[in-house]
Amino acid sequence: MENLDYARLQMAFTLGFHIIFACIGMVMPFFMVVSHRKWLNTRNPIYLKLTKAWQRGVAIFFVTGAVSGTALSFELGMLWPEFMKHAGPVIGMPFSLEGAAFFVEAIALGFYLYGWKKLPETFHWITGIIVGISGVISGILVVSANAWMNSPTGFDVVNGEYVNIDPVQAFLNDAWFTQALHMTLAAFAATGFAVAGIHAFQILRNKKPELHKAAFKIAIFFGAIAALLQPLSGDLSAKDVAERQPVKLAAMEAHYETKKGAPLYIGGIVDAENKEVNYKLEIPKALSFLAFGDFDAEVKGLNDFPEEDLPPVPVVHYAFQTMVGIGSLLMLAALLFFISLKKKSLLENRKFWWLFALLSPLGFIAVEAGWVVTEVGRQPWVVYNIMRTKDAVTPMPGLQYSFYLYVAVYLTLAVMVTWLMHRQIKVLNRSIG
Amino acid sequence: MLYVVLFFTFFSLFLYVLLGGADFGAGIVELFSSRENRKMNRDTVYKVMGPVWEANHIWLIILIVILWIAFPAYFNVIIIYLHIPLTLVLLGITMRGVAFIFRHYDAIVDGSQIWYNRMFAISSLITPIFLGMSFGALVSGEIVVTNDYTNTGFWELFMHPWLNGFTFLTGLFYAALCAFLASTLLIGETQGEIRKIYSRKSGIFTVVLVIIGGAVLLYGYWYDMTFVKEFLQNEYSLIAIALSGVLLLPLWRAIKKQHSVMTKIYAGLQILLVIFAAINTHYPNLIITKDTELNMLQDTAPESVIYVLGISLIIGGGIILPGLFHLMKSFNMIRIPSRAADTEE
Repeated sequence: MENLDYARLQMAFTLGFHIIFACIGMVMPFFMVVSHRKWLNTRNPIYLKLTKAWQRGVAIFFVTGAVSGTALSFELGMLWPEFMKHAGPVIGMPFSLEGAAFFVEAIALGFYLYGWKKLPETFHWITGIIVGISGVISGILVVSANAWMNSPTGFDVVNGEYVNIDPVQAFLNDAWFTQALHMTLAAFAATGFAVAGIHAFQILRNKKPELHKAAFKIAIFFGAIAALLQPLSGDLSAKDVAERQPVKLAAMEAHYETKKGAPLYIGGIVDAENKEVNYKLEIPKALSFLAFGDFDAEVKGLNDFPEEDLPPVPVVHYAFQTMVGIGSLLMLAALLFFISLKKKSLLENRKFWWLFALLSPLGFIAVEAGWVVTEVGRQPWVVYNIMRTKDAVTPMPGLQYSFYLYVAVYLTLAVMVTWLMHRQIKVLNRSIG
Repeated sequence: MLYVVLFFTFFSLFLYVLLGGADFGAGIVELFSSRENRKMNRDTVYKVMGPVWEANHIWLIILIVILWIAFPAYFNVIIIYLHIPLTLVLLGITMRGVAFIFRHYDAIVDGSQIWYNRMFAISSLITPIFLGMSFGALVSGEIVVTNDYTNTGFWELFMHPWLNGFTFLTGLFYAALCAFLASTLLIGETQGEIRKIYSRKSGIFTVVLVIIGGAVLLYGYWYDMTFVKEFLQNEYSLIAIALSGVLLLPLWRAIKKQHSVMTKIYAGLQILLVIFAAINTHYPNLIITKDTELNMLQDTAPESVIYVLGISLIIGGGIILPGLFHLMKSFNMIRIPSRAADTEE
């Protein structure tokens, strides 16, 4: 493998971790403040205990998210110096605002974590809300910078230099809204289902069922609403991609032949050499409809794009299928949860809890898959149609060692955080009351 | 607007060196403490810095983001040629942040605490050393900027510029500065026996700091380094360094009188003077390579970018600084009555 491959692997690996830490760090504060509010309203000690347990989770994920984010802010430059040299000033605005939002989050978290019994109750609770809101704003800003890479605007290229830069236009690029909406909902769905699943598992083990049921309800509420809204946002994204990045759409669907009334493939094995998809389920005309809202619209196939502009089709196609498949599954589970609100007998059924326990990791798998779709689907470009990834990479050789180092560090980190969470739950279950 | 951006650049640098430095220093002090004192040190540090410790490190992100937006060509050189030490800095920051949170948020307190503490203290020492080495590398005149990566060796391009006697000394200098800051600031936060311990430590680290500082200058003078020679000829830099030495006296008096606010102001001023002395010497040519000097004010981002960045920084600063101030103040106000209660017992 070349230096470029290692640089890409390292970026993928570190971002892959950061996306999980960041999602949890940005969504869990909302669970925490809901539980906190319930404690203030009902004075039921279960909610206080839950708030404090979740607060520790928030703190742990905030810090792991912060340090992995610091690492990324350096890595962008260290791995892709040419990209940052030219694109840095253009996409600086969302990044500088993100820095500010992140700072506000850190300050609010300082107040929240250390404010118990020291700050007035309502003010203390509000600082928790600020933590959540500024976290979501940070996420949206970072995604907007990524959206610019898919939909670069706000500058002109003259002799290889980026001139006439309009940072505001670059920030509010065509892709930012659909991407930010999709990512934010994804964060809520993934974290909601992950946290709810962990508590569902504790209910199955019959450890403090009352507490864990309260926890489950708060977490799944956020997760279920997001999971129900996500298909709508996905539809917006698909139509947007179809228009802006037709080659990405074609790769997502492994759609080789340009066709009017193109069919949608479900499943299937991509044969990239012979440019066909085997063993698939075909829904006639569905792709044309999903992409352009018209059953007879023409969808441009991969064969009509130059070879050197094609992303690795199988990876993008499989990732897309995974994301959509899991998304649909979570949507059904969300419906089931809302049914259970009417039909209480479901809550007595162990299968109900088993289902949610098993769904726990799926949301994050979908997040990772979706991120593979957007990033790998943009290849071979780092800035779509402007700069190729291979032209952005650092000239420093030996990146494989840097990659190995990061793998070792992040894997250790992941193991430690998991272990820590395990201990949190153990103590929560052991506590009296 | 460029000046607004420059102001925030140096302002975040200053705050990071000061606040982040005090934070690193706390870990270094812990590393050089006897076993009995370590726990006491940990508790004091947690009490004093807990609420703000994470905020302290965000200044580094702000600094990096400003550099890449406003001074892209300049940042490009730093990030390519200092790839390795900056990776090591990141490793240190990661280990340190994780160790800090683990030792305070692990639900079960048991033998694993020893590992968290060890990780925390060691990474607290290593990180500022590599940070100092990176700064030293920028001004040491050893960086070779080239487009020809095949004919120049890996060692010459990516190792030697930051791994030499001079940068080693600048690395130690920053670590000593951190330890000096932490031990000095902690004196004001403690009582009785503990106070004496920190006073002694502060004295030791002051001496260490002065010795290493002298060594940096001597080394540079001996090897005829541009940066050090100009430093020694620049009267403003010399005055600033002398002044920061003189400030030690009122600093010690403020500590003796338990004047916590004045202690912090004097310590902050000293850092400001040291940074000023270092930057002023060669500003704005803050990178000295083997055959040329790079001016950070050349090839800055276009006017429109600087303008938007300046506005963002003013708005961001307007939200963050009062919030940060309020955060520090509220927890100070909380601490003072609790300390009064302690002394009454």
